[in-house]
Amino acid sequence: MSNTETEREAESDAADSLITTDVETGSNDRTATSDRTAVATRDLNVFYGDEQAIDDVSMEIPEKRVTALIGPSGCGKSTFLRCINRMNDMIDVCRVEGDVEFGGKNVYDDDVDPVALRRKIGMVFQKPNPFPKSIRDNVAYGLKIQGYDGDIDERVEDALKGAALWDEVKGQLDSSGLDLSGGQQQRLCIARAIAADPEVVLMDEPTSALDPVAASKIEDLIDDLAEQYTVIIVTHNMQQAARISDRTAVFLTGGRLVEYDDTTKIFEDPEEQRVEDYITGKFG
Amino acid sequence: MATDTENARVGEFGEVSRVRGIVFEYLSLGASVLGIFALAVLLIYVTIDAFDLAGASPLWLLTYFLTLVVPFLGFCLYSARDRALTRRAVAVAGGGLVAVAGAFTLIETVIGQVPRLNWQLTYLFVVIIPLTGYLVYMGARGRPGSVGFGLVGRLIGGTAIGLAFSVLFLVFDERLWFLAYTLGIVPALLAYAYGRRRDASAAVTAALPISILGVLLAVFVREALRTYPTTTFIYLWTLAVPIAAAGALAVNARGSRTAALAAGGVPLALAAAVGLFGRAAGLGVGGPNALLVVAVTGVPAAAYLQRVVDVGEGVTGLALPVLLVAGALAGALVVETFGIPTPNSWVSETFLTEAPSRNAREAGLYPAIVGSVIIIAMVALLSFVLGVATSVFLEEYTADTGLVGALTRLLQINIANLAAVPSVVYGLLGLGLFANLLGLGFGTAVTVSLTLSLLILPITIISAQEAIRSVPDDLRRGSDAMGATRWQTTKNVVLPEAFPGILTGTILALGRAIGETAPLIMVGAATTVFSAPSSLFSKFSAMPMQIYAWANFPQAEFRYGVVAAGVITLLIILIGMNGTAILLRNRAERGS
Repeated sequence: MSNTETEREAESDAADSLITTDVETGSNDRTATSDRTAVATRDLNVFYGDEQAIDDVSMEIPEKRVTALIGPSGCGKSTFLRCINRMNDMIDVCRVEGDVEFGGKNVYDDDVDPVALRRKIGMVFQKPNPFPKSIRDNVAYGLKIQGYDGDIDERVEDALKGAALWDEVKGQLDSSGLDLSGGQQQRLCIARAIAADPEVVLMDEPTSALDPVAASKIEDLIDDLAEQYTVIIVTHNMQQAARISDRTAVFLTGGRLVEYDDTTKIFEDPEEQRVEDYITGKFG
Repeated sequence: MATDTENARVGEFGEVSRVRGIVFEYLSLGASVLGIFALAVLLIYVTIDAFDLAGASPLWLLTYFLTLVVPFLGFCLYSARDRALTRRAVAVAGGGLVAVAGAFTLIETVIGQVPRLNWQLTYLFVVIIPLTGYLVYMGARGRPGSVGFGLVGRLIGGTAIGLAFSVLFLVFDERLWFLAYTLGIVPALLAYAYGRRRDASAAVTAALPISILGVLLAVFVREALRTYPTTTFIYLWTLAVPIAAAGALAVNARGSRTAALAAGGVPLALAAAVGLFGRAAGLGVGGPNALLVVAVTGVPAAAYLQRVVDVGEGVTGLALPVLLVAGALAGALVVETFGIPTPNSWVSETFLTEAPSRNAREAGLYPAIVGSVIIIAMVALLSFVLGVATSVFLEEYTADTGLVGALTRLLQINIANLAAVPSVVYGLLGLGLFANLLGLGFGTAVTVSLTLSLLILPITIISAQEAIRSVPDDLRRGSDAMGATRWQTTKNVVLPEAFPGILTGTILALGRAIGETAPLIMVGAATTVFSAPSSLFSKFSAMPMQIYAWANFPQAEFRYGVVAAGVITLLIILIGMNGTAILLRNRAERGS
């Protein structure tokens, strides 16, 4: 353990010294690449009726890293995110072709139960959506629906600590989750997502509805989460992607994956001119 | 529009005409006031007739005004703790007195005698009752007021619920209930509690099957067993003890163990004493029903007392029930001592506890009240269960597109149309389907309940759907993303959130059901029965039927006095029922 950490630090130091632009990237101590793949898509196409939302996307998302999906509005990044835990199934007109591999299995195989799949993949939404229940019940929700019969209070405490919320709410676990501030609510949603111990946490623009201070707390948290979980985050905020992610995928209009590489590479020396234009704000 | 532009040139910035808006505003106000005013006049006259207030001497009114109303208003003002409000209240009461007396005398001299109304009564209805309403509202915001009204509400609500329970046991077999409770519910609860305590999920899961098995077993044992404990003991064991236990648990969760014991134990002991020895001790009250009422009233009140004393705020509010009872007693004493003539109210103990009679003074509504309460209970249960199930299915389970979607929409349109079908048609359906085809009997409680349930089902479904639809989709997606099945999402997120709305719709629909007469006539419910129904299949009547029958009597005493008393009773029961449901809903809203 300590060995790998030292290695990582060394590598990240090396990476830091390479950074010459004013965009700060990779403020974490993880290497950008990982040996193992958590989620992989192959020739993924998604249609809403006749409209194509995702066009032939193949990518491998590394385990226990933060992968950011960026791109202009309507480019299909949220759709892509929802394919991973099959939340698109809920939309009647949505049709998915191709493979999404998770845990060595195509999640769109007939024998995969989407409900069981979602228990392994947590999700955090754009707008904080705590249930109108107590903080404790919010966090314990996943455990309860899965019929967990161990010590729920302990898991609730762990999850709230993991979401950096414990110190703020430990005295008021029985008050409603809706009484919290927006940023606290979003961290409550993160606690809820990680309480059931998923392998992957999907985040769909988790900070876009929050003020900068709350957003920066969530960003710090995401950094910590990557120690344990694979985090896939959709964001509109270029600086955020640069700050927190290890890998970045750039989607452009029409649901095409234009470039997918280490975050440092994407932000400092993208292969594609279009990506550079998008990142520097020339379009999008 | 032309005027608008012309006006715009006036003044420095121009001026925009608001004439049409203002006209519209006052027309709307007039429309709403007209309806309320007409209803208020009707209700005032019904009240005057029912309580024979026209025959009340001014001294009688003054006595109760001084002993009951003034202290109560004083309590409200004390609770509100607002000098300006007190000044305004006194000004309104005093100024109103002068204004009403003056205006009334003027009307009488200019236009002529106003039937069955004098200036004292007008003052009561026009000034004092609205003022009381307003002061109750203001007083309830203060801590002593909210405490006092909370306690009085629990006392009155508990009595009403206790009486309603005892009415239901007139037709439902209490021995079967005793067996089902002992064999099914108690073991299931024990298993559940054990499972919770020891973290044994098997015991928790077993609770439901145990209860079902126990209830089934009870049905068989009912046939076989010959000797049973007395009704008093059954009520004590199956209702009073669990209510006391629940109250004690609730207190225990907040306060000390001793307080819990007191809150649960004292009312229970009192209830048991009243139930077992009340009559023997010559108190005049006693028996199983008294036990039920004392238990249902006492335990929540004791738990509430404990909480208030624990919080230590507004303890003075607890004196409100004492104030009211003392006021009523003092008034009665004064009336008795000075021989002030008392109005001969049509709403009286006889009216509420006796059977109908040919003689107006002896006529009673009791069998019809019992019939109505039974119908309401069954209709509430049936339409709530069916309505929620249907709306959940339509909103949460069916697809929006494709063939299923088209079928759902068709079903939806049909339900909306069913809500507009006249109630006589439902009566016909009930007659054909339940009375004839299924042989449930003409005019029996079952037939009527089923018919009325069908009648209000569309309204229940539509309002429940509306409530379910108003649950934000964010919450559903949040639950789905946690890996909840659709049932888990519905049960844990959608239904709790939609519950207050569903309840509101059901309350409104039930209000309609309680007042219906046309379908009752169609399925052959009796207009008048002389004894309370003893089973679900016996002939019975309902309050609106009985009132309708009285309205056709030749004697004026019936048409004015008894009908008015019936209407007032019906309204009070309706308001009580709605009030309970609204309190439940508010509690659910606050809890979420």
